[in-house]
Amino acid sequence: MPEVIIDGKSYKYEGQHKLLQFIQDLGKEVPFFCYHPSMSIPANCRQCMVKVGQYIVDRESGKHELDDKGNKVIRWFPKLQTACNIDIADGMVVHTQETDELVRRAQKDNLELILINHPLDCPICDQAGECPLQIQTYKYGPEGSRFEVKKVHKPKRIQLGPRVVLDAERCINCTRCTRFTQEISKTHQLTITRRGDKNYPTTAPGTEFNDPYSLNTVDICPVGALTSADFRFKARVWEMNQTPGIDITNGKGCNIDLWTRDNIVLRITPRFNMDVNDHWMPDAGREAYKIFNENRISRPLQKLDGEQILSSWNNAVATFIEQIDNTENKNILVIGSPHASVEENYSLAKFSNLMGLNQPVFVPHLKEGAGDGFLITDDQAPNTVGCRLLGFTELDQKALKKEVVKASLVILLSDHLLDRNVLTHKDLDGKFLITLATNHSETTKRADLVIPVTTAAEHAASYVNVDGRIQRTFRAKETKYTNRRLDMEMSEGRLDRYGTNFDNWVTEDNKIDCLPVWRFISEAAGSKGLDLVLSDGREIMDEISSTHNPFKGVSYQLMDEQAGILLINDSKEKTNA
Amino acid sequence: MAYEFTKEDLEQIEEIKSRYPEVMPATLPVLWVAQNRFGHVNPEVQNLVAETLGLPHSHVHGVAEFYTQYYKEEKGKYVLDVCTCLSCQLCGGYDILHYLEEKLGIKKGETTQDGMFTLNEAECLGACGYAPMLQVTNDQYVNHLTKEKIDMLVESLKKGEKPEYEKIGMPQRENI
Ligand code: SF4
Ligand code: FES
Ligand code: FES
Repeated sequence: MPEVIIDGKSYKYEGQHKLLQFIQDLGKEVPFFCYHPSMSIPANCRQCMVKVGQYIVDRESGKHELDDKGNKVIRWFPKLQTACNIDIADGMVVHTQETDELVRRAQKDNLELILINHPLDCPICDQAGECPLQIQTYKYGPEGSRFEVKKVHKPKRIQLGPRVVLDAERCINCTRCTRFTQEISKTHQLTITRRGDKNYPTTAPGTEFNDPYSLNTVDICPVGALTSADFRFKARVWEMNQTPGIDITNGKGCNIDLWTRDNIVLRITPRFNMDVNDHWMPDAGREAYKIFNENRISRPLQKLDGEQILSSWNNAVATFIEQIDNTENKNILVIGSPHASVEENYSLAKFSNLMGLNQPVFVPHLKEGAGDGFLITDDQAPNTVGCRLLGFTELDQKALKKEVVKASLVILLSDHLLDRNVLTHKDLDGKFLITLATNHSETTKRADLVIPVTTAAEHAASYVNVDGRIQRTFRAKETKYTNRRLDMEMSEGRLDRYGTNFDNWVTEDNKIDCLPVWRFISEAAGSKGLDLVLSDGREIMDEISSTHNPFKGVSYQLMDEQAGILLINDSKEKTNA
Repeated sequence: MAYEFTKEDLEQIEEIKSRYPEVMPATLPVLWVAQNRFGHVNPEVQNLVAETLGLPHSHVHGVAEFYTQYYKEEKGKYVLDVCTCLSCQLCGGYDILHYLEEKLGIKKGETTQDGMFTLNEAECLGACGYAPMLQVTNDQYVNHLTKEKIDMLVESLKKGEKPEYEKIGMPQRENI
């Protein structure tokens, strides 16, 4: 097997590899800026310099040439090489900054050059704390600069598009952003303008950077040149904690990270998953952070004399059971939701079943033509396929209306059917509507009983995307009934760890008074004396996997290990992407 | 004003495109076709080039902005690039520039009211041996400048006469 020798250690390899990627995959490091594994390699930042050579071998004897001390003699390339774009080859000898003074010096000098005109405004820069330029400079940069002359000034605070702001002085012209629009989103909206020390990325005159994927450039910009218009100046990165999750705004299920501080979700960024979204996500999915914070239903609501008032959980459970008890089973309609997770839908179905009610129905939420064949789908819900695999009856609008007409009590899980024009107020006239929901809407306003339930940021639950892949979320945000310090699965940021209820950076009000669907269902079942205890997503999934064939073998552990599991291969089951 | 290529331009553009396996490399020569036609490649002309070639607007914009020889805004009929780089500077490049500024009544970077002249300060144009010098609209060099030579140049340009291309031999030993 071919081998390369890096910093005196030999590594076997197979296939073709770029040196920088190979070094990274070994868990080692060479500083770099312009290289990105999912895009072309321009090698323009020159930061990833290493020394590359080959042992000199005597052709006739096949023996290595040795120096006086008996060390093998190396024939080096005449100049240092950029590791990002050089292919590794059998017998290649590489010295990185770890073992070579020349490489250290080159990397240091390159940083000094890159920083000549950089404003060095880290204290007021959003990128500080997650900035490759800052990190590499700390690790490999010079301690000062010899360029004590006036810096070149360039445009600042330029609104490139509705969501992205440019500070051209911070830009190091790595072209990651322009390559993104050329190679990934293919809108070709960005280019580098001017040249020399005056250049920076921009759009063509008269156009704006309104690419539906524009915010990805903010993520990959290795400096603070591109920042998010929305997130700008909201938080320092080290104050937030980062929890993995799944994008619930469409059917693709992009893997994401939720960034929270004081139990408010402040931003959403994509999380790498080779099989789903690579390093990217649509801008629309990032907007969803608002769903988790704003307009939330906190405490159950009950209609009294036509007006919704705050109620108690005891009252809510009692009313829920009372309504079911007082209505003939055939007049009760249970509606599941493609917007809710597999576990939530399952809990509802199980309860329904024990009470002798119908197997939940559901109405897919599709927007014809909205999809783009990349990460935006026609499907507006994260779990349409999950509902199908649970065996729920799929109804279209007309069929649902027919069912609703027959019912006098409608139990609706997390689906704003009035808002999305599936049902009208008239359809619900004279019916008792119970909804389990996360956010206020037209639909919840109409409801006679509203049970506040957890969002994807507050529960661990799974969603099956349009390709039939099941993936799960983690708890990112506390509710009134969860506690970060006791819940080993929740991540803890600095403020969470050291804050107390009496600090001004901990706000009790940011915790929503809501329960996971399964907790509420268990309460309700308990008060009926039914044997139904569903304690958390993990256990529910174990139960589903043993009772539902399509979910066979699925567990949280396996999902975590494999970054999601493909449940179906046959495309009939999938929604149209 | 809406910019449009003439039929001849379009034929020429087709011919240029046929020289390359892909369209992108045609960007530079086609920008020249445009600049020769309209005297500049302002953003509207850049868009026209992009649409004619079926290339992204941003690409053509980036290319046009990169090269100083493409004029990104309307210029005078004659663009005088006066070199003030080292050799010319030592031989009086700034005197020439200031003389022209006075004579034309404009500052460097500006265009005369009648739209006849634009005056620029340029970096080394590679004619250091014949300093001081200037270049007329990306074309002829006028070398060994003196105030008299400038007067003559401006007069003849006003009449529409462009200077001749000048050929200056290498200095010979006996002349040194
Ligand atoms: S804005 Fe950022 S990503 Fe774009 S070229 Fe500059 S440094 Fe690179
Ligand atoms: S990462 Fe290699 S040159 Fe930029
Ligand atoms: S310095 Fe003027 S041409 Fe070189």
